[in-house]
Amino acid sequence: MLKKIINGWAKHQVAVTLVFLAFLILYPVLFHSYYLRNVAIQCLIYSLLSLALNLIMGYTGIVVLGMAAFYGIGAYALALLTTKLGISFLPAVALAVVITFCFGVLLALPTLRIQGNYLAIVTLGFCEIIRIVELNWVSLTNGPFGIKQIPAPDIFGIKSIFGLKLSKPEGKYYVVLILLVITVVILHNVLNSRSGRAWKSIKGDPIAARAMGINVFRYKVFAFAICAAIAGLAGAYYAAYTGYVDSTTFNYNQSILILSMTIMGGLGSIPGSIIGAIFFVILPEVLRWLGTFCGEWIVEWRQIIYGLILVIMIMFKSDGILGGFDLRQIHLYNKLVKEKEAEEKQNG
Amino acid sequence: MGETVREAVLHCENITQRFSGLVAVSDVSMDVYTNEIVGVIGPNGAGKTTLFNDITGIYKPTEGKVFFGGEDITGMACHKITAKGMTRTFQNIRLFNNMMAIDNVLVGLHTATKSGIAESMLHLGRHRREEKESLARAEEVLKLTDLYDYRYHYADSLPYGLQRRLEIARALACHPKLILLDEPAAGMNEQETTDLLQFIRKLKSMGNTIILIEHDMRLVMNLCDRIYVLDHGTRIAEGTPDEVRKNPQVITAYLGEEV
Repeated sequence: MLKKIINGWAKHQVAVTLVFLAFLILYPVLFHSYYLRNVAIQCLIYSLLSLALNLIMGYTGIVVLGMAAFYGIGAYALALLTTKLGISFLPAVALAVVITFCFGVLLALPTLRIQGNYLAIVTLGFCEIIRIVELNWVSLTNGPFGIKQIPAPDIFGIKSIFGLKLSKPEGKYYVVLILLVITVVILHNVLNSRSGRAWKSIKGDPIAARAMGINVFRYKVFAFAICAAIAGLAGAYYAAYTGYVDSTTFNYNQSILILSMTIMGGLGSIPGSIIGAIFFVILPEVLRWLGTFCGEWIVEWRQIIYGLILVIMIMFKSDGILGGFDLRQIHLYNKLVKEKEAEEKQNG
Repeated sequence: MGETVREAVLHCENITQRFSGLVAVSDVSMDVYTNEIVGVIGPNGAGKTTLFNDITGIYKPTEGKVFFGGEDITGMACHKITAKGMTRTFQNIRLFNNMMAIDNVLVGLHTATKSGIAESMLHLGRHRREEKESLARAEEVLKLTDLYDYRYHYADSLPYGLQRRLEIARALACHPKLILLDEPAAGMNEQETTDLLQFIRKLKSMGNTIILIEHDMRLVMNLCDRIYVLDHGTRIAEGTPDEVRKNPQVITAYLGEEV
């Protein structure tokens, strides 16, 4: 099936890309409801988080169970920078990304010597530590009351462009869409480069990677830090988007949700991560909507339906919906087709 | 080889490797000169692969020194040794199965390129130039190893013989000064071994220097300029294939009663 998707996409590459982009850009025009716009924003935020996890898990092969920690650090960083220091949105986002990057390095340096499941548990512990610090450092984080009145996104004080208010859902939608597009482009570039191949080779065989001259530890640290930075970006945006952060948002369940998105969508696939995120954001909404037709039971059974879908998924396609599917494969497919055509022309 | 004194590409001095009580390699010295094929043979458990791991930096030798191109590389990190121009293949194939054949070769070019993560993220000049050069070199190597038609196949989807060859291609990509092949003919049939023999000859004619661990005597005796024989971690003989073949110690230790 995956092959069919690639072939179909490759044949109509321009059309597919245009339709896809047009849909993303026109979404707030097509859907006016406050609710649908916010659901879309949630999809995009989780796409960022799922992409971040995919970089470290799907490409580098390190399981991280504490994504919510970096998400939370990014959110608190932006909240504090904007409310306490009065820094405006864009520089605050940049700083939040740098801060989470540093946290990523700090966590990676001592812990990456540990392997496999043990490391996963360490990240889980880190997530709890961060949550408890957020909850108890009252003088800084305001403890359980959270930080309120975080200003909405703006661009160096400009609050609306072309009549588009950045404090309204449609404005916020475009802000996160641009952040996501930039992230996807950067990730796509780096994953198809020397560094990206180094990460993939570490997942494939760390000993062979070392023998090929790759500084495995250094690349792992960078994968970790970049993963943290992207999660921090998502967190920073989230804080500005809701205008309020507290520690309950960034708990263990959040980490597992992000993990499910990445695995379900497809390890080692950028489009996979986005599809996984959309799937898990929309699923409860769809179930709620179904509940209005076939009774409340379906909403109550939600968690069980989640579990069933995951089990079925892992049984039949353990690397996710689009596991291993890379945008580059489309490019290669077209290249091969062109070469074949040229060959046929030569022969006849 | 003439009267001229050649400088050794690789010079191992009294290497000993102990794993707590077990002495895997004991006091082994060896020299490898430019454009030579040197064989390392010995019965199972003789310490051949351990010696390879000591040379390539996967292990740090307990005693002794390794010089590569005149430089002391004893105990240097594995990836740094590779960057100096020493590459290897593995006894049990270690390809990157999550990557295509061409990407496997491109990983082999890691040390030949320099662009960093930030440059790649932003698609800057050096990154683009290096990508282009790497791709050209990878395709060249794949053509040389007759793997070009398989370049977009995932490594684990290739037949066994081709996987072995892809591993050599990966080791060959960065124009190494020394290639270590760990049992390249393991599990190959007659025909594949003959192909491999010709292929390694071709590598030599292109100026490569090769160390070879091998059990296939036909391959070793036909290919190698010199052979080192290990048994129970110690070097019991050294010389040309003919000398080694006639060495009584080797015959009892390894080759059996009759060769």
